[in-house]
Amino acid sequence: MKTVLAQIVPKLGDVEANVDAHLDILGKARRQKAGLVVFPELGLTGYTLKDLAEEVALNPASDPLFRRLVAGTKGLAAVVGFVEESPADRGLFYNAAAFIADGRLVHVHRKVFLPTGGLFEEAKFFAQGRDFRTFQAPFGRAGLLICRDFLQFGSSYVHYAAGADLIICISAAPGRGVGGGDAFETSRMWELMGEAVSYFSTAFVLYANRVGSEDGVTFAGGSFVFAPGGRLLARASPVDPELLICSIDLAAVREARRRWLFKRDEKPEAIWRSLERIVRAPED
Amino acid sequence: MPPKINAPFVERVLVTFIRDELGRCGCRKALLGLSGGLDSAVCATLAARALGPRNVFGLIMPYGAAFPRDVLDAKALAKRLGIRHETVDIAPQIDLYFAAHPTSNRLQRGNKMARERMSILYDYSVREGGFVLGTSNKTELLVGYGTVYGDLACAINPMGDLYKTQVRQLAVHLGVPVAIRRKAPTAGLWPGQTDEGELGLTYEELDRILESLVEGRKTRRQAIAAGHDAAAVGRVLRMIKASDFKRTLPPIAKLTTRTVGHDFLYPRDREA
Repeated sequence: MKTVLAQIVPKLGDVEANVDAHLDILGKARRQKAGLVVFPELGLTGYTLKDLAEEVALNPASDPLFRRLVAGTKGLAAVVGFVEESPADRGLFYNAAAFIADGRLVHVHRKVFLPTGGLFEEAKFFAQGRDFRTFQAPFGRAGLLICRDFLQFGSSYVHYAAGADLIICISAAPGRGVGGGDAFETSRMWELMGEAVSYFSTAFVLYANRVGSEDGVTFAGGSFVFAPGGRLLARASPVDPELLICSIDLAAVREARRRWLFKRDEKPEAIWRSLERIVRAPED
Repeated sequence: MPPKINAPFVERVLVTFIRDELGRCGCRKALLGLSGGLDSAVCATLAARALGPRNVFGLIMPYGAAFPRDVLDAKALAKRLGIRHETVDIAPQIDLYFAAHPTSNRLQRGNKMARERMSILYDYSVREGGFVLGTSNKTELLVGYGTVYGDLACAINPMGDLYKTQVRQLAVHLGVPVAIRRKAPTAGLWPGQTDEGELGLTYEELDRILESLVEGRKTRRQAIAAGHDAAAVGRVLRMIKASDFKRTLPPIAKLTTRTVGHDFLYPRDREA
């Protein structure tokens, strides 16, 4: 299956322009016979929203702009980042990722770990998600993560334990540190996690980050695909917009799990019992 | 030394930053004051690479015939980069003002000149339809070595996260002429003034201390234990504290439930 990681520069606060840009890329991807397009975190809105968050929020089930986007996924699948306000949670705004396939909204993940501190202030403006769930995509089982979710390594474990063949992370990660190679030093952190997760979960890891700058912060790009076993298949520019195209063969998940027995020997019940004890008795 | 920078990568990031920030406002032109010194030379070079030389306008604003060498260097740099430039002598308006309001305080005179230059730059930004680029580096910003509403005023600042010693590394990579790279840094507020003379530390010493306090998050005691001179660390900490006001917007007295700067919070770069 051909996948496209859309490393774009969203327009801050302009949902309509961003929907058009997403549709344009979906069209290109379809012409190239791609099966999946992954857009970055808050790709429909831009990242540094602050009080704009509630002004750009939308209900994925009914919003006309979002429905246009859903309709634009005929014949392929997409992961899209946006601000969600659902009728069940009116007045709460989530940093969310939607999985859309063939004109249908399949799944929405709400970011659980909202970085707040240093240059981040997400918990000031967003409500917290509470759950990690995998879902059935047309090509296999998948789990979504948003940016910091991926760096809290328990999140990937949950998707792995639930049987994910693909862990898809969408991101708006700013770059920091210019004393290293030809990328921001913080890019190493993401790749290290991508390599480790793909290695030990024997799943594909797709990471779509954005580029461009907002209010002085430059986003670090470097979108990548790791195949099971920690094999780097593709990596995008650290600065420039790019449509990173990468073919993946999901049979590699089976091959890796035959060869490395991590998945066969996994004991989620032991992890769960231990976690339950820790959560119930934090003073122990 | 503050960590070495990967100068080609820094150039790439800053060129993209300048292009994106201006492009977002439908603008392709930038202006800056050219002093003949290192910081404005680096900034002009970055802007020329980001926007094309014809879209960069350098203003050379000497006080009469003071600092003739710097004026020559600034003109030569503009020619070399192929950017447009003009010279505006600020002496007539400065002299007129101080004839009416005399002072013997040279810092006060220097600050007035810095603000006069700012005022001319902003007027030219309307004439040219461009943005004013700031050229303050991280060292100056941290110790407050700049005139508030003078040389600190700008639309965007591409260089404010680079220590002076890192600006020097970038200057070598960008091919800034040796004549500019070799001269002693000066704010040019009065003849014979040098930054290092006034700060009482070389930029190498200053940047080493700043790096350990800022990125290294060391306390005064830890910085001294790590080998920095105790008096110098104390001096740097005092300079940082005394200049907090130069790095923030003025506080607004909060009265209502939603107040500019407190809880009316919009990004500067929004596009819709």
